[in-house]
Amino acid sequence: MAYDLELIGVGKVYDNGTVAVRDFDLQVEKGEFISFVGPSGCGKTTTLRMIAGFESITSGEVRIRGRRINDLPAEQRPTSTIFQNYALFPHMTVRQNIEYGLSVKGLSKADRRQKAAGIMEKLELLDVADRRHDVLSGGQRQRIALARGLAVEPDILLLDEPLGSLDANLRKSIQNELKLLQRNLGITFIFVTHAQSEALVLSDRVIVMNRGEVEQISPPYELYTRPKTRFVAQFIGRNTNIPGTLKGRDGDIAGVETGYGALRGFLNDSTLSDGDDVIAVVPSEAIDVYPLTASRDELIAQYQGNVVEGLVRTADVVGHTVFYVIELSDGREVNIESHIEKYRDAFETGAERVYVTWLPNEATVIGKG
Amino acid sequence: MENRPLLRSTLAIYTVLFIGFLYAPFVVLGILSFQSGPEGGPQFPIIEWSTYWYRHIFGLTPPSRVAPLPIGEALVRSMTLAFATMVTSTVLGTMTAQAFRRRFKGSGFVFYLVVLGMIVPGVLVGLGIALVANTLGIPRAWWGTAFVAHVLYTFPFAFLVMLAIFNRFDKTVEEAAWSLGVPPMRTFRKVTFPLIFPGVLSSMLFAFTLSYDEFPRTLFAAGADLTLPLAIYGTFAVEIHPNIFAFGVLTTLFSFSLLAVYGFLMALSVRSAKKVAIQEEIA
Ligand SMILES: Nc1ncnc2c1ncn2[C@@H]1O[C@H](COP(=O)(O)OP(=O)(O)O)[C@@H](O)[C@H]1O
Ligand SMILES: [Mg+2]
Repeated sequence: MAYDLELIGVGKVYDNGTVAVRDFDLQVEKGEFISFVGPSGCGKTTTLRMIAGFESITSGEVRIRGRRINDLPAEQRPTSTIFQNYALFPHMTVRQNIEYGLSVKGLSKADRRQKAAGIMEKLELLDVADRRHDVLSGGQRQRIALARGLAVEPDILLLDEPLGSLDANLRKSIQNELKLLQRNLGITFIFVTHAQSEALVLSDRVIVMNRGEVEQISPPYELYTRPKTRFVAQFIGRNTNIPGTLKGRDGDIAGVETGYGALRGFLNDSTLSDGDDVIAVVPSEAIDVYPLTASRDELIAQYQGNVVEGLVRTADVVGHTVFYVIELSDGREVNIESHIEKYRDAFETGAERVYVTWLPNEATVIGKG
Repeated sequence: MENRPLLRSTLAIYTVLFIGFLYAPFVVLGILSFQSGPEGGPQFPIIEWSTYWYRHIFGLTPPSRVAPLPIGEALVRSMTLAFATMVTSTVLGTMTAQAFRRRFKGSGFVFYLVVLGMIVPGVLVGLGIALVANTLGIPRAWWGTAFVAHVLYTFPFAFLVMLAIFNRFDKTVEEAAWSLGVPPMRTFRKVTFPLIFPGVLSSMLFAFTLSYDEFPRTLFAAGADLTLPLAIYGTFAVEIHPNIFAFGVLTTLFSFSLLAVYGFLMALSVRSAKKVAIQEEIA
C-alpha cells in the first residue's frame, strides 16, 4: 500500500539563491500526526508550502497516495492548509467561509448546508454560523479555519503554526481539540511549529529540522531518550552533553573517555569506532543526585561507572518540582528539573557537593558531527 | 512648547488660504454665471440675478446674438472617452499591478517605463502620437489616437493605486482559496477582487476625472472632432459670455456627484476593507 505522503529527496532553492530545504526524505502512513520542529528559518514552512503547492519543488519528488504531485497546481492537490493568521475570507460569514470550498466542488446547496453544519457542530461553531468572523475571538477564528479546511475532506491537512497567535491557555485547549479531531477523522496531519512542547504532545512522529535538513524523525519519546544528532540533543529537552572519545563497546553500551573519567552510554551508531570524538547525551530525567555522604563505590556499582562529582549552584523548589543547577569540575553546568521525591536525600541534607549519576542505558552516545 | 500654538495657527492660516485659492475662482464663476442675459457680460457688477445663461445652455432662450455653446456633442464624446479610458486603464492597471506582485526579471525597469507615462510633458506626448499616426497613415480621432493618449496618461495612476492596494494585501487569503480547490481565476474574481475593490474604485475615479478634462495630450491627438475641454477652449477664442460659467458650474456639480457615488460605493466596501486590516494586524 502506498504511503499517504511521501517525500523523496525534496529540495528547495529560492530564486534569490537561498537553499531552504535539502534532500528531504519522509514517508507518512495514513492517519499519522506528523510535526515539523526546528528553529526559525530552518525550512519548515517552505517544506509545507511545497507539499501544498504554493512553492515549486526544486528537486526531488512529492507523492500523495502514490501519485506524483510535483506539477499539480495547489487547487488540484488533495491537501488543505491552515494558516497561522487564519486567512479567513473577510467578505464572507462564518458559514460562507466553510461552504465556499464545497460550492467549488459542485455540491448542491442542500448538501453544502448539511456538510458545513456537520463540521460546524463538531467544532462548536453553529452558534456563530451567520456572524461575520471579525467579531469573533482568536480561538473561534482558528476553529473556523479548521472547519473550512476540513470541510473539503482533504487527504492531508497541512497546518503552519496554527496555534501561534493564540494565548497560552487557549493554545492548550485547542491543542487537545486538534488531537481529538485528528484521531476521530483519521486524516493525516502535517503540523509545523517552532514550539517543541506542542509537537511532542500532539504527534505520532516528530521531524526535527535544522538549516534546511532533517536531523531526526522519531516518535516524541525517542527524541528525548535517543537523540541521533548533536543538534537534536541540544534542541530537544534538557540534556547534558558531555564530550569525549569512544573507547570500548559491549553490545549496546559503549565507553566514553571524558574529562570526568570513563563514562558509559547507549550506542547504536555503527559508523562510530574507537577513538572517534563523541558526545554522551544525558537527559535531565535520567539523572539521580546523591550527597557526598553516599558510598561512591556503591554508586559506581549501581550506575556502572557513571558517577560524576559536582557542586550545587542553585536548588529551587517550585511546588513538587525541584530545579537544580549543578556545576561539574570543569565548570560545565548540569540542569535538572524533576520531581522532588527523587532528590529528597540530597536535598534534605542541604549538601553542597553531590554525586551526579545515571544508568548507562539512559544516556545516548552520538557522533560529534 | 511655545512654538506649537504658532505652528498650529500657521497651519490653520495656510489651510484657509489653500481652500480659499482652491474655491475662490469657482465661487466667482458661480456668481457670475447668474448674470443677466443676453446683454450681461462676464464681469462684475451683476446687473441682475438670473438663470438666463443656464437656460441658454440648454437652448431654452430665444435666439440672440450669443450663439449657443458648441458643446453638446463634445460633452458626449468626452463622457464616452472618459468612460472607455476609465475601464481600460483600470483593467490594465489592475492586471499590471497583479503582475508586479511577484518580482520578475527587469521589473524595476518596466516599473519606471510605466510611470514615465505620467511624467513626460503632455503636449509632447500628444504631438508624438499625432506624428506617429500621420507617419503610419492612421487618421486622428478622439476615439482612436486621443483614446490611446488618455490611456497612456491614466494607466500609470491606476497602476500605482492598485500597486499600493496589493502591497497591503494578505496573500494567504488567496492561498487558502487555492488550497480549498478554487482555481486561480475564480479565486481572483471571488476572493481577491472583492477585497481590492476600494482600490479599483479609486483607480476608476482617477482615470475618469483625469481623462474627462485632459487638454494638452488631446490637443494634437484628437483630430477634427473636439472633446469638451478643447471645445470650451475654442469658445474662448471668440468672445467669453457667462454661459461658459454656467456650464462650469454644471460640470463641477457633475464632478461632485461622481465623488458622491464614489464615496457611497467606498462606504459599502469599507466594511470588508476593515476586515482586511484586522487580518493584517494578526499576521
Ligand atoms: N520567498 C522566499 N524567498 C527567498 N527566501 C525565502 C523565502 N521564503 C523563505 N525563505 C528563506 O528560506 C529559509 C527557510 O524559511 P522558512 O521555510 O520560512 O523557515 P521556517 O518556517 O522554518 O521558519 C529561510 O532562510 C528564509 O529566509
Ligand atoms: Mg515558518
